[in-house]
Amino acid sequence: MANKSTISKLKTSSATVIVSLSLVLFMLALGGWFLINTKKLTGYLKENIGFQIYLKETANESDIEKLRKDMDAAIYVKSAVYKSKEEAAEEMKKETGDDFVAFLGYNPLPVSINVNLKSEYANPDSVAWIEKEITTNRIVREVVYQKVLIDNVNDNAKKIGLIVLFFSGLLVVVSVGLINNTIRLSIYSKRFLIHTMYLVGATQGFIRKPFILKGIRNGVISAVLAMGMLAAFIYVVTRYIPELLVVQDENWLLILFGIIILTGIIISGLSSALSVRKYLRLKAEDLYF
Amino acid sequence: MSNETVIKLDNVSVFQEHSAVVNNINLEVKKGEFVYMIGKTGSGKSSLLKTLYGELPLKQGEATVAGFNLKNVKRKEIPFLRRKLGIVFQDFQLLSDRSVYENLRFVMKATGWKDEAAIKKQIDSVLKKTGLENKGQKMPYELSGGEQQRVSVARALVNSPEIILADEPTGNLDPETSSEIMSLLLDIAKSGTAILFATHDFILYNKFPSRTLKFENGKVEQLG
Repeated sequence: MANKSTISKLKTSSATVIVSLSLVLFMLALGGWFLINTKKLTGYLKENIGFQIYLKETANESDIEKLRKDMDAAIYVKSAVYKSKEEAAEEMKKETGDDFVAFLGYNPLPVSINVNLKSEYANPDSVAWIEKEITTNRIVREVVYQKVLIDNVNDNAKKIGLIVLFFSGLLVVVSVGLINNTIRLSIYSKRFLIHTMYLVGATQGFIRKPFILKGIRNGVISAVLAMGMLAAFIYVVTRYIPELLVVQDENWLLILFGIIILTGIIISGLSSALSVRKYLRLKAEDLYF
Repeated sequence: MSNETVIKLDNVSVFQEHSAVVNNINLEVKKGEFVYMIGKTGSGKSSLLKTLYGELPLKQGEATVAGFNLKNVKRKEIPFLRRKLGIVFQDFQLLSDRSVYENLRFVMKATGWKDEAAIKKQIDSVLKKTGLENKGQKMPYELSGGEQQRVSVARALVNSPEIILADEPTGNLDPETSSEIMSLLLDIAKSGTAILFATHDFILYNKFPSRTLKFENGKVEQLG
């Protein structure tokens, strides 16, 4: 028979479920955030990989302008910046501290176009055919890029991506298990109530409905709390590592928010439905085990 | 008492798991009849009641309860069978997380009542009939055992059932409170509801004599 303490426990069990769900969904959101940031960070690194197109001395202004425009319009190019001989010399002077033009008596540096690729084209295969395509242009002397760097960035991005994906997948499985267990335990404490409801003529659907609605409500509240925790986490982390702001993507965060809410609703609602179903199918004497 | 039969059993055997606990029960209960089921603990009284309200499957014999043929009743039809019955348990089985009023309201909402004014009117009426006029807002744990059993009876009455199945309803109560509950149930029977009353309390049976079924050695014998 229920006493005041039991009633109080029944009421607080909902809060306990929400706290547990929030923490698990926060872990899941954190995993998702790492996954998104890893993707964005590797994209950011790849887009910083560039190559230089050195042009022949004989190239005239209009040919150079045409090539620059072609580069700007190419689907694989993120940015193409023209660099004159003078700009190149000034840059080198700044880097080395020597006025080599005065020393040599002429400027040996060629005119160039610095190209940064879109991340999806910054891989060894694409770069190879892009190089091949560009070198067919008659004003291009050579295309220079660091093949080893491209290979390393791509290899490492792939490895890190797989590791983060694996852990994210693991996190999803663990989260589903933990949420399911939390809800099952909460409904286990109401198994006798569920059985009584069935005995007095309520249909299974009528009994299940409030539990599912409560599960959905708990899922939404927990997801909002989890995203609040994630927002606080991001705020603190970016204060100490402001570079992370560069890879921050609000659109992806919104998508993550949607995914976490949906996950909360689906797992919580489904676990509630399945747990109630289980107790509706048990005979009275089996409820004691 | 009307001549309308509300329970009819033909050669029914009651099973717990795979073993029969009572065999070849033949019984006919008419509207407004009060029938005792007496016998020792484990003699099969509760198992027969469980079979009648669909908790245990009918494996042998033919049984009709409130118009439902138990042999053919499907799992999804069981709630509709139970709506024609009122069930009173020894341990009350009230919904401990809500008030007396909400306990009764749950049953009514679950069985299709929509009009809140009609629900309130019906609850007030059964609470009055069971002597609980001022207890509607109390939580079950705030009531005495006798009062909780009255709530259980009120819950059984709220849908004006054809039959009340009472499984040792006085088992947890003192003699005086038991007599009060008995008087209440006898009054309900007089108003046309058939009552099957399982008990091992012979004092009660002697105090309020009525038609009796004796459960002994796996058989049912009719007394009186």
